[in-house]
Amino acid sequence: MATRKNATTRYHGYRAGASVGAYTARVQTRLKRAELDQLARHYALDSQASATLLDLADARPGRTESLTFLARCFRYAGVLSLGSSLVFFVAANWSRIAVFGRFALLEILLIGFVAIALFKPPPRFVGRAALLLAFITTGALLALFGQTYQTGADVYELFLGWALLGLPLAVAAQWGPASAAWICVLDLALCLFCGWNPHGGFLWVLFDGERFTTTHAVFAAAVLNLGLWIACERLQWRAVPDWVRRLVLFFALCFVSWLGFISVFKSGHWYADDEDWLAIVGSLAAIAGVIFVAIAQRRDVYPLALAAGALVFLATCWIARWMSDTHEAVFFVMALWLITASTLCGRGLMQLARAWRGAAA
Amino acid sequence: MSTAALVAALRERGLIGADAPPAPDAADRPWFVSLLMGIAGWVAGLFVLVFLGIMLDLNGSTSMLAIGVALLGVAWVLYLVGRGAVFVDQLALALSIAGQLAITAFLFKELDAALPVTVAILGMQLLLFVVMPDRTARTLAAFFANIAWVIVVRLWLRPNEGDGAFFSPNGVVQMPLFGAWTPLIEWLVTWIPPIAAIAWLRSTETTWMARRTAEFARPALTGLLLGLALGGMAAEPLSMLVFGTNELGLSFNAWALFPLLSIALAMLAAVNAFALRSAGLLGFAIVAALVHLARFYYLYGTSLTAKALIMLGAGAVLLGAGRLLARRTVASP
Repeated sequence: MATRKNATTRYHGYRAGASVGAYTARVQTRLKRAELDQLARHYALDSQASATLLDLADARPGRTESLTFLARCFRYAGVLSLGSSLVFFVAANWSRIAVFGRFALLEILLIGFVAIALFKPPPRFVGRAALLLAFITTGALLALFGQTYQTGADVYELFLGWALLGLPLAVAAQWGPASAAWICVLDLALCLFCGWNPHGGFLWVLFDGERFTTTHAVFAAAVLNLGLWIACERLQWRAVPDWVRRLVLFFALCFVSWLGFISVFKSGHWYADDEDWLAIVGSLAAIAGVIFVAIAQRRDVYPLALAAGALVFLATCWIARWMSDTHEAVFFVMALWLITASTLCGRGLMQLARAWRGAAA
Repeated sequence: MSTAALVAALRERGLIGADAPPAPDAADRPWFVSLLMGIAGWVAGLFVLVFLGIMLDLNGSTSMLAIGVALLGVAWVLYLVGRGAVFVDQLALALSIAGQLAITAFLFKELDAALPVTVAILGMQLLLFVVMPDRTARTLAAFFANIAWVIVVRLWLRPNEGDGAFFSPNGVVQMPLFGAWTPLIEWLVTWIPPIAAIAWLRSTETTWMARRTAEFARPALTGLLLGLALGGMAAEPLSMLVFGTNELGLSFNAWALFPLLSIALAMLAAVNAFALRSAGLLGFAIVAALVHLARFYYLYGTSLTAKALIMLGAGAVLLGAGRLLARRTVASP
């Protein structure tokens, strides 16, 4: 167990063992190159001593670690290449194969990938890769169905159907890339749904088109992503590593920023002259929630950086709205605001990062 | 390992004296904080330029040049006097961006061909790299210089494409400088210098990291790696996006493989980022590789069936290489 913990620390550069309640520490404790440069210069180290400094700081991966990384790169790239080959082939709509043949080909591939995963199940690489390819094949199969029969479905429905049907595969893979692929597909579906606001498709069976506006859709997408992020942080699923959780939070804050943008320009409700309070309160509450969770965890300033970015963006939009009649002055104020706000955010985030890193080291 | 523990370990080994002063307390910014501040600085720079443009009624190219030089001068002074002061650095970044954009606008107005404009931008970025006393400014300058270099080589070897005149007035395709060999020659001329520079900087890292050279070498290394990951995009013929191969009467041409070479460059950047233990650079390189893959789908001049076969072959080769390497890793002591 101890060996495994050490290996995790060495590979990811954070202390996986130090837990705080249900959480594990994610503060980056390894010194960065710029910091090592500064140390080397401060103590006027010669070449030999600088090399020792890099080795002591574990700043240079050894031969085995480098080869492992390279092998992993090749394997991941290989799986992605096969997946993209499949997508390209379906998109090519190759007329030399009959419709039955095209479906049969994809279905045989899907069954084959699942069979491989059953034969060599995750966490073995072959099983994980097979399940990721099965997930991609599911999407390709849905696309082929839409392409062949011209179902009239909206594009978001393809991606949403893909996300729903592919969820068991992503869960079974227990693998970061598979989880990331799933979350990307889901959020692309939500983005298309919110962006195009199509009054049709199976999501509109649940929501009445007359009363349901873009604000509601974006708010729901933001809440869904935030809920997923909090659940992943709480449950510490192996299938959802740190970088995928960060991806989920990034998508969540994108939707929150979108919601806030709606609140500024009231585009969420076309006929109303009053403020869109759901968008205003919803976006601010979501940002406050992210800040609250991050400060309670005290282990990563990344959520705070995203929340700060969203706040700065929204405040800039509000300045643009309030000063829209002032011609050039609005640009001056927005520039000044951006410089001041980013300075304050940068300083605050660095202070927190130092404090949390000091506690974790 | 914390800074204090590292210093203690160095002291134990006798590499620093027992009475050496304590280590400076200056944690480097995480990549996402740098990104946040960088984006804010960039957008602020744009706003500064628009503000000055409206207020001073900048229409002539000479006034653009004067404003650009003045802004860069102020940015230089701010960087010089405000080292470490975040607000001053952010202000300097915004003014520097505004100045660069103003000078670029001047170049586009005054020089009527794409190649001289790009050469001038390359020169400006190299000058900024040398002159600006700030790591972020130098990193950005190295990155943009790399991109400008890619475009300079492209316009030099394929002069007609840069001006949008891929066809002559009578509709004949204008061949690039070295004919069918141009893609290969261009790729080598473009990428061998930055790759060699990256390899050299990495291999000599321990000799410069304690010296003042690090103030230049580290931003150069970071900027070159960013350029390596993303710059392939600037090397490829945009005219293919417009015309495709059907219009050119070709079923397949060598340009179709360029995004794959860009993916290879991005992966090389990723490997270097891993060796430097830079999570931010590694993530950037991976995202760049995915962007190149998406471009391969959308842009280039061969059929999707051929692309599917290319990716199938590439996948098989990569998986095989990965498996071989993994076995070798397990077998090695």
